[in-house]
Amino acid sequence: MPNKSGSLYGLTILSPIIDDEKATPSHDLQIRKYLAGLATDDGSPFALAPGTHLARLVVMDDVIYVGMPACEEHLKSKYLVLESNFDGELDDYLGGLADHVPEQLDSIWGHCVAYPGAGNRQAFIDYMKACQIDTTFYFAAINDKSLPETLRALHTRTAVADFIANHQGMEPARLQAEFVQFVAQLRSEPIPGPGTGGIARDIKTGGRNE
Amino acid sequence: MSNINGKVYAMNAITPMKPWKTWILRGFFFVLGRVKPLQQDLINLSFIEFARWVVLPRRGFPFLGNGQKREELQYDYLLFFSNFNGTWNQYIDAFSAVLSRGLNLIWRWSEKFPGSVPVTPFKNYIAQVQFDTDYYYTAYPRATANDLKSAHIVQTSLDALSLRAQDYTPAQFAEAYLHFVIQVQAHLGETGDAPVVF
Repeated sequence: MPNKSGSLYGLTILSPIIDDEKATPSHDLQIRKYLAGLATDDGSPFALAPGTHLARLVVMDDVIYVGMPACEEHLKSKYLVLESNFDGELDDYLGGLADHVPEQLDSIWGHCVAYPGAGNRQAFIDYMKACQIDTTFYFAAINDKSLPETLRALHTRTAVADFIANHQGMEPARLQAEFVQFVAQLRSEPIPGPGTGGIARDIKTGGRNE
Repeated sequence: MSNINGKVYAMNAITPMKPWKTWILRGFFFVLGRVKPLQQDLINLSFIEFARWVVLPRRGFPFLGNGQKREELQYDYLLFFSNFNGTWNQYIDAFSAVLSRGLNLIWRWSEKFPGSVPVTPFKNYIAQVQFDTDYYYTAYPRATANDLKSAHIVQTSLDALSLRAQDYTPAQFAEAYLHFVIQVQAHLGETGDAPVVF
């Protein structure tokens, strides 16, 4: 199935945004304003709900005209695009979002046509699936590891580097004892949560010339 | 607008295609998805964490009623979403240098695609068809794709050694530990803050 690569699922959703000329500011601007203030670290809705590796939300204003001799055409709706890369199956993932972050979902998709609200779990899942576009080709660099496995591995890598650096030239019996202790301690430590460790960027950047 | 989060960049692009051409592209992707050696260049470009191409038929835009107007389009559209490490210029340069043949097979069906080589008109085209990200989340903002690959290699090697560590004699452990260090030494390192790009 093109939406999947190994155990990873590539979800693409286009939700039409309400076009109401009486709304001030317009619904697309209200979405953009909300997203601009939404946490991107461990307070992100995608961190609070399980399974998301990477996700983005984009307001797509229109299709792009590439110039003559192509025809110029325009969309009749603006669309909210969700691109998400997550573990497992679609229904479980969408249900997890509805269970964990219903307020944030409602604040975002509440500006979209026919959105039923996340309070009705099944209606939310059905709505999102009605807006889903099948991925034609999906590439995941690592497609056989879950998010918890990846977060643990990143934590392990740093700890192993420290252990090796601090135990060079050690006598074998002591090295063995300390290694066993190190592994036991590593396994007992909590895994750093998703979204942690990033630095806040006061100015949102990432323009096309960067 | 926030195309960057930590060490990863979110790129979105949309290009128009004549509907009859999308079937050729679908055929190409069908083959690419099933013949893994054809993906090797994409895998070798190890700064891509996730990427996807989505063919959006002109009558395939979600229509939900409730006052929404139905789209009336002449073109199908190719959506491209990429999550990569590094800068926009590095990414496009590498794409052009390493994947030019593959990129041409994907985008040559889009209107006015100039080809991926030479790189200047290619960059101009990508800049024209790109649209910005409003919100970008990554579960591991301090890590690159290579960090992730390395971390899993270290984890696997550590798990293998720790399974038997207690059963070895000290001499056997010393040998196994040396082997472990040789296995992981090229994959160690720390994740950290992304360099600030100007």
